[in-house]
Amino acid sequence: MKKTSLAFLIICFIFFFTGFKGFSQPSSEHGKISGDFGFSGMYYQPDSLINAAEVEEKVRGNAYLNLLYTNKQFTVGARYEFYLFPLVDFEQIAYKGQGITYFFADYKNDFIQVTAGTFYEQFGNGLTLRAYEDRNLGIDNSLLGTRIKITPYKGISIKGIWGIERKNFDFDYLTRKDFVRGGDLEISFTELFPAIAEKQFAAQIGASFVSKYENPTHPVLKLPANVATWATRFNFRYKGFRIESEYAHKINDPNNTNGYIYKNGEALFASASYSMKGLGTSLSFIRADNMDFRSQRDISSTTSLLSVNYLPAINRQYSFPLLGNYSYVSQPNGQIGIQAQINYLIPKKTKIGGKYGTNISLNYSRFHDIEKNIVPLADSLGSMRGTDGYQSNFFKFGPHLLYQDIGLEISRRFDSRWKLELAYNYISYDLNILQGHADTTLFHGHHIAADLLCKINTKHALRLEIQHLYSQQDMGSWLHAMIEYSISPNWFFSVSDSWNYGNNTAEQRIHYFNIAASYIIKTTRISLQYGKNREGILCSGGVCRTVPASYGVGLSVNTSF
Amino acid sequence: MKPTILVLLLWGILYSGFAQEQPEALKTTPLPSVEIKTLDGKTINTKELSNDGKPFIISLWATWCRPCIEELSAIADVYDDWVEETGVKLFAVSIDDAKTASRVVPFVNGRAWDYEILQDLNSDFKRALNVVDIPFLCILNGNGEIVWQHTSYAPGNEEEIIEIIRKLSK
Repeated sequence: MKKTSLAFLIICFIFFFTGFKGFSQPSSEHGKISGDFGFSGMYYQPDSLINAAEVEEKVRGNAYLNLLYTNKQFTVGARYEFYLFPLVDFEQIAYKGQGITYFFADYKNDFIQVTAGTFYEQFGNGLTLRAYEDRNLGIDNSLLGTRIKITPYKGISIKGIWGIERKNFDFDYLTRKDFVRGGDLEISFTELFPAIAEKQFAAQIGASFVSKYENPTHPVLKLPANVATWATRFNFRYKGFRIESEYAHKINDPNNTNGYIYKNGEALFASASYSMKGLGTSLSFIRADNMDFRSQRDISSTTSLLSVNYLPAINRQYSFPLLGNYSYVSQPNGQIGIQAQINYLIPKKTKIGGKYGTNISLNYSRFHDIEKNIVPLADSLGSMRGTDGYQSNFFKFGPHLLYQDIGLEISRRFDSRWKLELAYNYISYDLNILQGHADTTLFHGHHIAADLLCKINTKHALRLEIQHLYSQQDMGSWLHAMIEYSISPNWFFSVSDSWNYGNNTAEQRIHYFNIAASYIIKTTRISLQYGKNREGILCSGGVCRTVPASYGVGLSVNTSF
Repeated sequence: MKPTILVLLLWGILYSGFAQEQPEALKTTPLPSVEIKTLDGKTINTKELSNDGKPFIISLWATWCRPCIEELSAIADVYDDWVEETGVKLFAVSIDDAKTASRVVPFVNGRAWDYEILQDLNSDFKRALNVVDIPFLCILNGNGEIVWQHTSYAPGNEEEIIEIIRKLSK
């Protein structure tokens, strides 16, 4: 096995440093080839203290190659993915296999666009349909089928899709008994009536319909073969004011995530903002009730496989490493919450604002579960299975606080050399509901961060990051420090340590150190990293997955051409 | 196993180091044709992006991407001077999805950025440009052809960007 992985590593390198140079020669008559390549590998060492287990094959890696060929109005593309011995976190979510996972042919002109093969698509905010990819999370729910987009008149757009959702590396399309089809209409008054745009008005409305077919087989329940969702949306702008909203409805969809209940689902997303130069304010609201919508009804809620739609987690997302484990996880089957934010720039060249101005950002978000009044039980086992489930008051916040974040951030450049950013956050987090921990105590944490940047000269810069998380729950308090030295535009070097000094168990007060170096040239990035990575969750857009602890040497190579 | 990887890495670095030293004429690549949205919800094709025959910059960013904000903030500090000197224009294409898209405008205004903001809600433009990670910045000549692309941001990169734009605007 070692030989296989090593041979693969070498092939990747040869391919990358020799083959690609020849590809990227553009020629207008013969069309254009472009692409991107990514490799991420790791040599794993066991470490019982941080719970990094000995892995079957120590050298593992993920690799893919995307190629696109465009000639005037035609585009064809394909992606090969090699994940036969993937990084252990991908192995954990069964993102394992190899093959051509993405291939399509596309033609478009001003009136029509047709796609055959694999495609990504989103209707509105994605409440009814979102086929997308997030490579870092191992999410790819692209559709294999056909798509058509028509623009009969400038300002009116119609889309239709029909396809089977990708399920990791299962290519059993011929035996699949499920598929998705749908359509979307969007009308932009701004484009239909250019006169209103001149008065600083803008408005769009839209509607979408998506239906899933799945062969109903169940020993007891009479299941619907077709499940439909529909949504309507609008957005409106006048000068600095903007409001937008989308409401979605799903007809009965008994499935594994909702305990096979026949209740309809619904979701509302709304957002209002006012901004002018130097000041931005926004307030968003989301409510989702029984909106987990999958191509196959037996998929468990612990994976994000085969999701047809997307319920955004609208909270602010942080890149602070110590807060990574306390990222909100969107709850499509029951969440209600708000998010408010103010961004303000204390003007440049004032006494308080300084020469370059000072940025201040205030943030508040709060998410609860929804109220669920269980309807009289039909099942002698006491489960809701086969019933209408529960009733819920639409605007009432449920009894459990899932997540709260109060945050303040200030950043200021003092002169051409020094820049300082300070942040404070108070986070409350329900580990039991959001991450399935047995512990039901609510987590509370105070987090402070300081980030100091010193530009030594036009090319060299030094960054120092210090962060502290104070908490008495979960893993307790942490201290994190990082020093990064960069030489523009090619080099990055960093050393960091996260120290879990406040852990209740003395043996678990571990240092997670890391050293890393990256070399960047144009669109190629090569990184080498060595150290310990903690067990935790990795999130993006409210979609998360758990990541096992790991210890070892990592290498990644990315390039586009 | 480890030494082999290191040798391969060193080889890679050396190889690309040599590649860099080869004199290279400015190769141009056409911009992909993809529909993205303006902040007024209008759909425009990326082919339509232009700056009246002068060079321009397209930067792919997101409100949750720290190095992107750092890069756009660093350019914002010198942007007035760049515009005055070269007439350059920066299109900041946000790849924020439904989760954060409604906060793009307040975010940009709250920082008083003067860029033209566009939205690529389901990463179609990002995919067509073969972008792996953001920040991703490309410089286009007056004809709207890509002449230079770069991924990631290190403080000081803006010096290289303006040098290229100066050459293009001569």
